[in-house]
Amino acid sequence: MGLVDKSRLPAPLTKLFNMSRSYSLWVYQWGLACCAIEMGAAFGSPRYDVMRLGVIPLPASPRQADFVCVSGTVTDKMAPAVKRLWEQMPEPKYAISMGSCANCGGPYWDSYSVTKGVDQIIPIDVYVPGCPPRPEALLEGVVLLQQRIKNEDMAAKWRGDEFTTLQRTRAMEAGEVDRDGELINVPTAPTLETAQAVDSVRPEPIVVGGGPIE
Amino acid sequence: MAPLSDDTTIKDGPSTDAPAALPGDGLREGIIDNLRSHIGEAIVDTKITPNDDLWIRVSTEAWLTAGQALKNAGFTYFCFLSGLDWMPSPYGTGEEDPDDEPKEPDTEIVQGYTGGETRFQVFARLTDLNRHVGVTIKADVPDDRLVMESWSHLFAGANWHERECHEMYGIGFDNHPDLRNMYLPGDFEGYPLRKDFPLLARMVKPWPGIVDVEPMPAEDEAESPVDDKGDES
Amino acid sequence: MTLTDRQQLSYIASQAADARLNVELETEGMTLNIGPQHPATHGTLRIICRLDGEQVVWAEPVAGYMHRGYEKLTEVRTFPQVTTLVNRIDWLGSFANEVPFILAAEKLMEIEAPPRAQVIRTILFELSRIANVSLFLGDLGVQMGAITPVFLAFRDREYILNLIEGATGGRFHPNFDRIGGLKDDLPKGWIEETRGAVKKLEQFCDTIDDLLFGNEIFQSRMRGIGIIPADIATDYGLSGANARASGIDWDLRRDQDIPLSYDLADWKVWTHPDGDSWARCWIRLQETRESCKIVTQLLDQIPAGPVMTKVPRIIKVPEGEAWVSTENPLGEMGYYVVSKGGLGPFRVKIRSASFNNISIVPWALKGVYVPDVITILASLYFILGDIDR
Ligand code: SF4
Repeated sequence: MGLVDKSRLPAPLTKLFNMSRSYSLWVYQWGLACCAIEMGAAFGSPRYDVMRLGVIPLPASPRQADFVCVSGTVTDKMAPAVKRLWEQMPEPKYAISMGSCANCGGPYWDSYSVTKGVDQIIPIDVYVPGCPPRPEALLEGVVLLQQRIKNEDMAAKWRGDEFTTLQRTRAMEAGEVDRDGELINVPTAPTLETAQAVDSVRPEPIVVGGGPIE
Repeated sequence: MAPLSDDTTIKDGPSTDAPAALPGDGLREGIIDNLRSHIGEAIVDTKITPNDDLWIRVSTEAWLTAGQALKNAGFTYFCFLSGLDWMPSPYGTGEEDPDDEPKEPDTEIVQGYTGGETRFQVFARLTDLNRHVGVTIKADVPDDRLVMESWSHLFAGANWHERECHEMYGIGFDNHPDLRNMYLPGDFEGYPLRKDFPLLARMVKPWPGIVDVEPMPAEDEAESPVDDKGDES
Repeated sequence: MTLTDRQQLSYIASQAADARLNVELETEGMTLNIGPQHPATHGTLRIICRLDGEQVVWAEPVAGYMHRGYEKLTEVRTFPQVTTLVNRIDWLGSFANEVPFILAAEKLMEIEAPPRAQVIRTILFELSRIANVSLFLGDLGVQMGAITPVFLAFRDREYILNLIEGATGGRFHPNFDRIGGLKDDLPKGWIEETRGAVKKLEQFCDTIDDLLFGNEIFQSRMRGIGIIPADIATDYGLSGANARASGIDWDLRRDQDIPLSYDLADWKVWTHPDGDSWARCWIRLQETRESCKIVTQLLDQIPAGPVMTKVPRIIKVPEGEAWVSTENPLGEMGYYVVSKGGLGPFRVKIRSASFNNISIVPWALKGVYVPDVITILASLYFILGDIDR
């Protein structure tokens, strides 16, 4: 897609592309523990039926997937595999973290073998809290993710700087980035300030139900 | 029934009657006597809780022969094998209020049922499926050399349990085919189930301690919560 | 002990596999890695198989991708807090995990739950068995390429989950058992609802019986595959349906004296002499039916009275050691609890069924063909949390 990332797309076209992307999401299910069963209920059962939202479960490999749903306990032994899976997925990619374990360690907050939060390994877009979250909560997370995709600046996403149109406008007003989304006055050596500047243009993660990530 | 299934091979299990007499303590004493006739003075101590359970502690050297004798006596079902670390944890039990004065950690090693002389013990449980009785068998692990005789040639299932025990306590097993790590990544340091293995997350952020349960408004202070709503269905 | 023909054949195949490892191979060896994340492994188990042509000559499961350190964590929690944790060992039948731990604590404290609580406990225990095994029955089809059963299982399992949620407040992890009884009484109308739901689950069993067990492909892929003789099964400590499928007549619900109300109901323990994959699945199907029977009978016999005995507000368990195991959906699940008189346990050894059940995999996979690997694993039925703890 050289066209998309080099030039700036006209707004209606971005909208069209974003809409089509958000309603044909292939989800890779990275089910690890109890939450995987609730995820299975949400994605695989006739009662919750995620396909009506335009989300297609069960791709053959992560290379076909648009977003990954990490549900369950990530252990230190599993963490490299999760990272590898994330690297195998093609851009643009998104991640949902489902359940307290994946968010922050959950009931195993003091364990010696559990990674306290999958966001230490991969960037997370939507957190779904609960132990386990109900399938409905996961579906809400999916809907929120779709909303984010719809508001996205595709060209920026393609180039790899992840922020939405709104955030870019804000950042432009604040004088942090220029019109093409390049950071202004970035010293070559990374400092704390640049790190914060980069952070401020990264999209905030969404938490289903609001509130702190727990 | 499914039309194609081959019904002749299926036999109904017996109905739900429990065995005529559940094993009494006489049976348990018989087990000890039988074992004593095989391994003699290697039985260090025994304990019977009335109508409930049986513990036997054997000497370190007799660990394998005791397992063999019990297997010959009908205890063919291997339930589990694991270790015990009797040292009190130097980090407390996570119940203390972090605002309190830190108490002097308790260092006295007190063993449980059937006693013991060393910090580490191994214990295993075997069941006799015909007599419906189980036995817990324990042995000390010498402090200077944390190695026991392996049961993996006696009970095939002990293989994995010994691997686990090795990983968690650092207790070695002689003649074990393959004592690799089972759970933890290869570069993990320390033996997690030893009492002196710290849980780092707890050190960084201590548990607030036991929060004193406040009584519910309507409840009588002196009474414990008793639910007597009765049959409402 | 005498071996059936099938057992002899599988023995010969495994001997041949052994021999082939040692001689110069004509075919080319190959190592096949299944997992850790693979649709057929019920979670994150990894199996390494060394193949000779189409046959497995050596296989080993690599566990530990789900090790959460339960035994250590229980040492820094109080007794009531431990139930929250142990719920999550076998996550499909959560309530069943709490019961043996609570019984062990009650044994040490020398108290017993009131009769009403015991009956309700038994009902919830069996409901969680149904919830667990029904998903197994559905999943079984997926392993062999049949998609429909899993939808049926997810649909009908919801009825049971709704019941568990109605009574306990949690679909998955009820945390409803307390030392000395139950947290709460049953809600109004629950009993009637349960009767209806259990009927639906009985129909589900019949459907699965027709759809899967009556299916010729299913039978030819399951019968005579993965035979485990009885003496090997006890050696490895196989329990539950896996043991009963090898002809071992051993069910902890019947064969031990525990304060649960199984003796109030009239039910059967099923055994099967074959010990093959088919037998293991078939026994589970029958057990689900028996569970439905137990629940229906016990619903009529819930005595009146409180659901909680008097226990101190802050629970301290006297010094001692206790072992309690129950017949959980996956097999024998037990807790060896050592208390030093404190608020929390000194040591808890968790004996989970899948750990032993899966330790037989290197033996059972020797000499089988690659497609059978999946059916044997499926029929042994393990849950990762239950292996790794
Ligand atoms: S958040 Fe709770 S339900 Fe989900 S995997 Fe963790 S323990 Fe299991």
